[in-house]
Amino acid sequence: MTEKKINGKTIRVMKGNVTDLEVDAFVYYATEDLKLGSGYGTAISVRGGPSIQEELEKLAPLNVGEAVVSGAGEMKAGHIIHSVGPKFQEPDEEMKLRKTMISTLNLATEKDFKRLAFPPMGTGFYGVPVEVCARVMIETIREQLTDGPSSVEEIIICVPDNRELAPFAKALEAA
Amino acid sequence: MQVTERSHKAQKVIDRLQKKLNRQMVLSLAGCVHCGMCTDSCHYVLANPDDPTYAPAYKADQIRKLFKRHVDWTGRVFPWWVKAKSVYSDEDLEELKDIVFGKCTNCRRCTLNCPMGVDFATANRMARGLLVSVGVMPEGVAVVSKDQWEIGNQMGVLKEEYLETLEWMDDELQDELGVRHSLIPVDKKGAEIMYTINPREIKYDPRTIADAAKVFTLAGVDWTMPSEGWDMTNFGLFSGDDDLGGTVAKRVYEKAAELGVKRVVISECGHGYRSTRCEGPNWGGVNIGFEMESAVITMLRYIKEGKIKVDRDRNSVPVTFHDSCNNARSCGLYEEPRELIHLVCTDFREMYPNRAENYCCTGGGGAMSMSEYTPRRLKSARIKADQLRATGAKIVITSCHNCVDGLSDLIKHYNLDMEVTQLVNLVANAVVIPEKIEVMEKPAAVVHTLKGFRILVIDDEPETRTYLSTVLEDNAADTIQATDGLEGIEIARKEQPDLITLDISMPQMDGGEVFARLREDPATRGIPVCIVTGKPELRKLIYDKPYRPPEGYLDKPVEEETLVRNMRKILELASGASKEAAETL
Repeated sequence: MTEKKINGKTIRVMKGNVTDLEVDAFVYYATEDLKLGSGYGTAISVRGGPSIQEELEKLAPLNVGEAVVSGAGEMKAGHIIHSVGPKFQEPDEEMKLRKTMISTLNLATEKDFKRLAFPPMGTGFYGVPVEVCARVMIETIREQLTDGPSSVEEIIICVPDNRELAPFAKALEAA
Repeated sequence: MQVTERSHKAQKVIDRLQKKLNRQMVLSLAGCVHCGMCTDSCHYVLANPDDPTYAPAYKADQIRKLFKRHVDWTGRVFPWWVKAKSVYSDEDLEELKDIVFGKCTNCRRCTLNCPMGVDFATANRMARGLLVSVGVMPEGVAVVSKDQWEIGNQMGVLKEEYLETLEWMDDELQDELGVRHSLIPVDKKGAEIMYTINPREIKYDPRTIADAAKVFTLAGVDWTMPSEGWDMTNFGLFSGDDDLGGTVAKRVYEKAAELGVKRVVISECGHGYRSTRCEGPNWGGVNIGFEMESAVITMLRYIKEGKIKVDRDRNSVPVTFHDSCNNARSCGLYEEPRELIHLVCTDFREMYPNRAENYCCTGGGGAMSMSEYTPRRLKSARIKADQLRATGAKIVITSCHNCVDGLSDLIKHYNLDMEVTQLVNLVANAVVIPEKIEVMEKPAAVVHTLKGFRILVIDDEPETRTYLSTVLEDNAADTIQATDGLEGIEIARKEQPDLITLDISMPQMDGGEVFARLREDPATRGIPVCIVTGKPELRKLIYDKPYRPPEGYLDKPVEEETLVRNMRKILELASGASKEAAETL
């Protein structure tokens, strides 16, 4: 695990499954229609129960760059932030990812969340390059914790594989 | 009118094409002389002789024209001469998707029959990868890929489900061998062997895990199963996503290195074997410091070395063997399974053609996950059905989980009187349990009785209802029958049975909808459900739903012993968990 303090607040990078964490909220990289689908969506559906998808039906659809919050059903986390980011090499990928991160962090503050967990946003299935993702995520988090009002005291970036660990550790070190 | 504007996705495909080329790929894209030697080698062509779009050369041309247009000098200078052509719109990409995903299982039989050495399957996989990178893929491919990227295995098996299933199989094996200590060690550091499996074994066929554990136990080897990195399958092989391929393979390698094992044994799975043992090190760009082998070779070695004794008379039903394309054509694994069959079966009947020339089960290349192409797949399976029928065997053995599903599906479609099994099941059945195991401390006898339990059987087929009810009643259960989903839901609410067996394919309301309603209703959500289906391709109707998964899953036709054992186990597990389940859905 790698961690760093920024403005008295902690950013951690760890390996694991983000849906397992006991935090105020974890982030789910959502689709515009807010259907949970497979991957982490499977874990949310199975562990959290059907109430989450039911709640999302009333909040959909969203545009890329937007985020909403739902309950987390029976999961260990208190809430889930569903953030719609860029997918499959779509135009202006980096700008959209930045916008998605800012929306997510603002929403966390609006809800007064203290502990927040992110997966590597859009890497893997959706094809956002790991290095781009790490740089944009760490930059937007640093900016928010340094410049903006933020309720968040601890941010965990929970990555599924070793392939993401080194790029995120490097980006965190440079922040 | 000439179209000159190119869609964003089409441009990305062209951009990435240049990066995916290597010498082998260029040879395959440049080398075709359209001699037609490959045509009749393809099972799709044999089933569709009047449709030239199934011919391997035609399919390859749809990829080749891009190469010619954007890479090869001939196409850049004389595009009309060499039939070079680009893709411009998202519709063009959809057409390409229909060919590369829907008209080829990447079985590589055409490659074997090409005098020029053109490896169409490799080019086809590359084209799949280009489309996947811009989000153009069948829905099933997307679902499975995302599960494997994020959950760590192809079927979205959560860690708790995996570990609970191992524990369940451990209990079963302890009962069978009459011992009272754990027989399936997890994350044992320094073990000689790490055994990796296909998530299908957890979801639908856990008996294969218990059978493998039985072989390892009786062979007296030091082995373990990993808590992570246990899925040796790799959807990157099917989707063409090399990043996924490398990431998944490295999960296995990294876990094996962490545990310090000497050897990774790969359960019987064609594409898993090819991906983990053959392709993975290249995708992942890593050197491997341990051995990797198929469980077929492991079991054969144990018999030859005398570590286990087998009695082949226990497997006297006529059997044949289906060579998995990935095992046989791509990895040369075809003599060892035959040698093993001769050691554990008395009546082996060869299928023709066989080994590297064998026809695909038609479920390969991810085809079982692409339900939109099922009619094409089953139509193309006619040659395989003819092959199977000609053997006169009652059991077809295969060392591949995709083939198990593909063959089961075509056997049902073509009404063949056969069952599918794997070598691990036959070895476990033939293995002689030594005296020292038998005299170990024995547990109290496990009585497989269903006395005192009421089981609701929901199935629209009268014969199946009667069969299931008779077997259950013969084992002292009380049964209630429902002829369709609505009636079943009504009875479940009113009668509150202890367990429900549920068919999936039913008129009016399918089993998926029935399952959802049972889970949604507080009055029925705590009742355990066991799916009993003859259509494994429909299981997504159940498992894609956001509810607690069913407590059991059985393929039709289901044997009496299997049915009773599973019912009993579900009821045992449910007795302690029903209240909690009712509260958590």
